[in-house]
Amino acid sequence: MEYVTTKSKDVTLLEVLDRVLDKGVVISGDLVISLAEIDLIYVGLKVLISSVESMERLRGAPFASPMQEPK
Amino acid sequence: MKSQGKGLIYLYCLTNKIPKLKEPEDLVDNAHSLYYQGLYAVVSNVSTGEFSEENLKKNLADLEWIKTKAGIHEKVIETVMKDSCVIPFKFGTIFNTEENLKIMLKEHIGEFKDTLKYLEGKEEWGVKIYCDMDKLKENLIREDKELLNIDKEINSCQPGKAFILKKKKVELVNTSVNKKLNDYGQLIFEKLNKHSIESRINKLLPKEVTERKEEMILNSAFLIKKEKVENFMEAENALKEISEEIGFFLDCTGPWPPYNFTNAKKA
Repeated sequence: MEYVTTKSKDVTLLEVLDRVLDKGVVISGDLVISLAEIDLIYVGLKVLISSVESMERLRGAPFASPMQEPK
Repeated sequence: MKSQGKGLIYLYCLTNKIPKLKEPEDLVDNAHSLYYQGLYAVVSNVSTGEFSEENLKKNLADLEWIKTKAGIHEKVIETVMKDSCVIPFKFGTIFNTEENLKIMLKEHIGEFKDTLKYLEGKEEWGVKIYCDMDKLKENLIREDKELLNIDKEINSCQPGKAFILKKKKVELVNTSVNKKLNDYGQLIFEKLNKHSIESRINKLLPKEVTERKEEMILNSAFLIKKEKVENFMEAENALKEISEEIGFFLDCTGPWPPYNFTNAKKA
């Protein structure tokens, strides 16, 4: 089976979220998260990624931005 | 009525063999199994503090929480999948009591058994295709005769006409790119699909989510017989090589729990 590359640690979080949150049996549990909430998670993911980007941009700046929360 | 202190039942997956969850490393979130008429439901006891309707909604706003919990969800199912066929459930499938879970199992037991039978000996693989738009454009311009002719004309005609031709060129390039994206996605999908039993085309994810500079142009999942996986991988590898030259990148992952193929099918 020389071609088979099994899933390794480098599978991105995205790959996991794309399945775990969106797919799988949806059945009448007492509570199952709704589709609207999944869209919200993706929106959240977007927000998180962009905030990481802006933090990276800020790094190397001589002064902390006034928008940055003090740590 | 929720019984206080007893917590909730989180359902990961169903399987038809006793799941091996005994090794300490597999004891993520104290996953264990509940037996019901030939099925094993792999579950964790979770607290209402995290998973009651109200609290779950709050937690869904917390990305770090989702990442951790989705990771656990996947890990538990993968552990069970190592030695038996599974029906994965969606993240956050919660029951108030074991009794409620059993009622649900009773109601759907026939479908679940059929699905497990159907999924036996098969694996889910995912293929996403990304496109480097700049590279694709360059290649198309180089190959397209109509575009090459326009280029020649632009270089030799009056400025007024050149302006119009340049606009026309942009339009032609865009049309050509869109056509190529559709055709190529379709072509790869069809070639890979020959090796599968079933397939799904899922929604594309935006760049902000994928964190890649290339655009996603296909998000697909295939259900493949185990003995055909090698053929599938060979096909994928061959396509991957020729695709990269023209700006398409194939990303193949698996085997996954069959998240995309859990709709009960009569075998």
